[in-house]
Amino acid sequence: MPVRIITTHLEFEGRVSEQRVVMEGDEPPVWGEDAELRIVGKPTPRVDGRERVTGGATYTYDIQLPGQLTAAALRSPHAHARVTRVDASRAEAMPGVRAVLHRFNAGDLIDPNRDRSVFAEELPYAGAIVALVLADTREQAADACAAVMVEYETLPFVVDPEAALQPEAPRVLSDRPHNKLNDEYPQTYQRGDVDAGIREAEVTVEARFETPAAMHNSMETHGATAQWDGRTLTIYSSTQDIFGVRRAVAKALGLHQNQVRAIKQYMGGGFGSKFGPHESGLLAAYAAHRLGRPVQYMLSREDENVAAGHRSATIQHFRLGAQRDGTLTAIEQRTVGNLGALAGWFPATAMATKELYQCANVRTIDEGARTNLGPFAAFRAPGVVEGIAAMETAVDQLAAALGMDPLELRLKNYAERHQDMQRPYARKLLREAYEIGAERIGWATRDAEARRYPKGRDGTLRRGVGMASQLWGGDGGPPAQAQAKLLPDGTAVIITGTQDIGTGTRTVLAQIAAEELGLPLEAVRVELGDTEFGLYSPPSGGSMTLASMGPAVRMAAAEARKDALEIVGHLVEAPADALDIRDGGIVNRETGREMGTLGSYLEQLDGHEVTAKGMRGPNAENVTVRTFGAQFAEVEVDLGTGQVRVRRIVAVHDCGRIVNPLTFSSQIEGGIIQGLGFALMEQRVVDQRFGTVMNANLEQFHIPTIRDVPEIDIVLLDRPNTYANTLGALGAGEPPIIPTPGAIANAVAHAIGRPVSGLPLTPDRILDLLK
Amino acid sequence: MQPFDHVSATSAAAAVELLQQGGPSGARVIAGGTDLISLMRDRIQSPRLLVNILPAAAALRYLRFEADGALRVGALATLADIERDPHIAARLPILTQAVRDAATPQLRAMATAAGNLMQRPRCWYYRGEFPCWLKGGDECFARDGENKYHAIFGASPCVAVHPSDLAPVLVALDAELTIAGPGGSARTLPVERFFAPPTDDERIEYRLQPGEVVSEIRVPAQPAGARGAYVKVMDRQAWAFALVSVAAQLSERDGVVERARLALGGVANVPWRVAAVEDLLTGQRLTPALAAQAAERALENAHPLTHNGYKVPMARAAIRRALLAAAGQEE
Repeated sequence: MPVRIITTHLEFEGRVSEQRVVMEGDEPPVWGEDAELRIVGKPTPRVDGRERVTGGATYTYDIQLPGQLTAAALRSPHAHARVTRVDASRAEAMPGVRAVLHRFNAGDLIDPNRDRSVFAEELPYAGAIVALVLADTREQAADACAAVMVEYETLPFVVDPEAALQPEAPRVLSDRPHNKLNDEYPQTYQRGDVDAGIREAEVTVEARFETPAAMHNSMETHGATAQWDGRTLTIYSSTQDIFGVRRAVAKALGLHQNQVRAIKQYMGGGFGSKFGPHESGLLAAYAAHRLGRPVQYMLSREDENVAAGHRSATIQHFRLGAQRDGTLTAIEQRTVGNLGALAGWFPATAMATKELYQCANVRTIDEGARTNLGPFAAFRAPGVVEGIAAMETAVDQLAAALGMDPLELRLKNYAERHQDMQRPYARKLLREAYEIGAERIGWATRDAEARRYPKGRDGTLRRGVGMASQLWGGDGGPPAQAQAKLLPDGTAVIITGTQDIGTGTRTVLAQIAAEELGLPLEAVRVELGDTEFGLYSPPSGGSMTLASMGPAVRMAAAEARKDALEIVGHLVEAPADALDIRDGGIVNRETGREMGTLGSYLEQLDGHEVTAKGMRGPNAENVTVRTFGAQFAEVEVDLGTGQVRVRRIVAVHDCGRIVNPLTFSSQIEGGIIQGLGFALMEQRVVDQRFGTVMNANLEQFHIPTIRDVPEIDIVLLDRPNTYANTLGALGAGEPPIIPTPGAIANAVAHAIGRPVSGLPLTPDRILDLLK
Repeated sequence: MQPFDHVSATSAAAAVELLQQGGPSGARVIAGGTDLISLMRDRIQSPRLLVNILPAAAALRYLRFEADGALRVGALATLADIERDPHIAARLPILTQAVRDAATPQLRAMATAAGNLMQRPRCWYYRGEFPCWLKGGDECFARDGENKYHAIFGASPCVAVHPSDLAPVLVALDAELTIAGPGGSARTLPVERFFAPPTDDERIEYRLQPGEVVSEIRVPAQPAGARGAYVKVMDRQAWAFALVSVAAQLSERDGVVERARLALGGVANVPWRVAAVEDLLTGQRLTPALAAQAAERALENAHPLTHNGYKVPMARAAIRRALLAAAGQEE
């Protein structure tokens, strides 16, 4: 097969990178609007639904190997300290304790993703790891942690991001000259002249908006079970990226990549926080390798919430200028991000600011502040959720100042092209999303309804309706590979190296393969989540799994189908292109004659298996592929108690072709519920005097319960985006969370008749706004 | 968790006996364990001996209305038992309301009525790794710290709030506890007096003598026509401790309030009874204006901390609603 190398571009969470694609063969033609599909597009229950609901699915926690040790960590109580001495002798003598690892006996373990010792001397936040106890039981390990004696030299600290940026602030990391993310910050983007745009504006709005640090709280915490058999290090990791785990573990342990096998079969959520093995996975691997016994290290909920990431908090200032008719003359966004001590990048808070509205004069200034807090991690559309919430509430304030309908103002400034890159969008259905959403929520009568509404026991319930827009990438890209195998009985196995992080990947890939192969869904099995067998697949993040893996699987299936028909053609002495596979049977295309099952031919070949490979081709050039959408929220605000209740959300998102309306809807619902939590209740609380996170648990860090979930009205647009890939499908993982907080915030502002100052919209914030 | 011994008691008297063997502070009764276990896991309490009283369920798990209308709640009746009892729902719906919004179905299935009254505060300094005053330290870290969920009333050095939903309702119902003590003794005590703000000498929210065990909660017969309402304000729709809660119990004759009880939760170390408002209401017709006046009066002496000023208007709104609901004036 001739090999071609093509250079293409890949966008991952707002960052564009150049990517080389190796192509062996050609992708099949795009499934267009008129493609007649039998399985793709049909509501299909999860192929692994039974295991998931019966407890048969094996999650990382469920892995129990003979002789397995359990780990628990001792973590720093200080916001900033140096560890000067560790005395583990008493802990080591306790029952069941097999080892205590710390700086002075395991300082050689380097986290390759941070280029830093896991047991570092400098502990830059309360919750940084000091020692790891390995014991026969979890309780023994936890008890022994309390018996490890540590001497600390405490250092000055800062947890407030604005204070951290002051020149006299204590250094968050003592070897750095300042607390900025790096020397490239603050980072400014501009086009046109914002100051001139503000001067020529007839109406201006200035708004400060703060967003909280929100912890992911995946049901399954970070962690891994690792085993070293003297030859291979096998790691069962709670990860969104098994190849990242293989790479990092091999590097950290000085092993070849072929000595490391990373496995992830079922996932209890990651939401962006689980790229790579995490410190916990490295520790499990290191301990297993060193002790020669299987080791499980799963984080406790508290450790998860201080040390395994969160959505970074922001303070944003918006300035908008417009002419009387609503035409925007200036957009400015200044963002301070509270990134924690060990950050390596800045979330895409400015992504939407640059392109959502038509405006010649735009400036965004990102300032990343390191603080003595745990590291942030990507969290479902990192930055974009926060940026859109702030901008869309500012746009509503501008609409109020102009006396204009907020939706009309948005349409007035509708961006037809991708301004930042000066090129067209492959497709933009945002206008349609606005129209459909407005219709379904009753936008036209929202003011009249709100006026008529006041009710409740003492007339203090108010109703509000608000909306916000969504923009995101989600077109995926290479490299992503897959194999298809046809077995002698005519069934198929699709082998990939991707992982199903709970989104339904296993199911949609089976649908795509069955469609392309002409087999019934039950005749296709999808293998994933194991670096030993699957070819390289990208991390499951950035809404890119379906749009990257789907085309690779489809190409592998198409190739296998072609090969199978060649074989059948030889056997029946007919040209292969006269034959087709339909529902597992061989059919003559012209006559429609049924010629028996595919299996009846393949089984004549004494065990020969048809194998084929597929890969995701390059992305479209000179055009921007995006998902666009909008959500509309209806809320009730209790002016007496400050409680907000979301009654209804209408969600309209263009994610191209919908491969499975069931898993698509799950994504939309999950994103909305998570967005509702961010809008109404999720907020890390830090005692500024000690730098301690006060609510690193599920008791005091509130996430929505089922009673908080509103009626969710999902509109399926389901139109293939033929620029995106051969499926015409885009990712739906992140789009649904993006507009929810902004839509709820605007609905609350509508209900109470005044702007909101930030999130979350807890009763105390509402009562404060009403003062 | 510290190692401990575990013994079983098949009656309140046996529990008293066993507690004495464990010494004054080293022994604790455990029933549902929904709070004690987490306190022990977090090393906030480390009793040497646990006296498991659940084997006494045959004697102590019951709900009974007496002929005179009084309700007797065995100490080991669970919140779920109360929630599901049709007689309570018909005759004392305020009690049903209180347990329905408490915790989760799983917790309500384990948590006992008496244990609910003895749960410790949820203050994150108390529960976290802070040597706070309530744990024997020198300082209440919440007073000048993160005190959004803390007290707006009271003079204790500790500003944590009482987390129980049941407690304010029992206070509003004039309930009494039966307490078994050493040597087969027993005493009764109004629920209201069972609670007392922690002091330097007794850093706890309730008062039991060493070796004592609560055996029963007795809710006296309420006057004919008495009605109550429990209003709980949470920051989500379920599974949250009250930001503020209000238990109001009113008896009216000919539209005039004859007797009123008002107790607040989530605002002080103990269920906060507001006698001044009870006096204000007595002899009056309950109108929205009077409810509003009562709410104002109830919060007159509130002294919020840096982050909990919102509890003042919130409590006012909750009081207005609870009073109007108790008077049957809900919309």
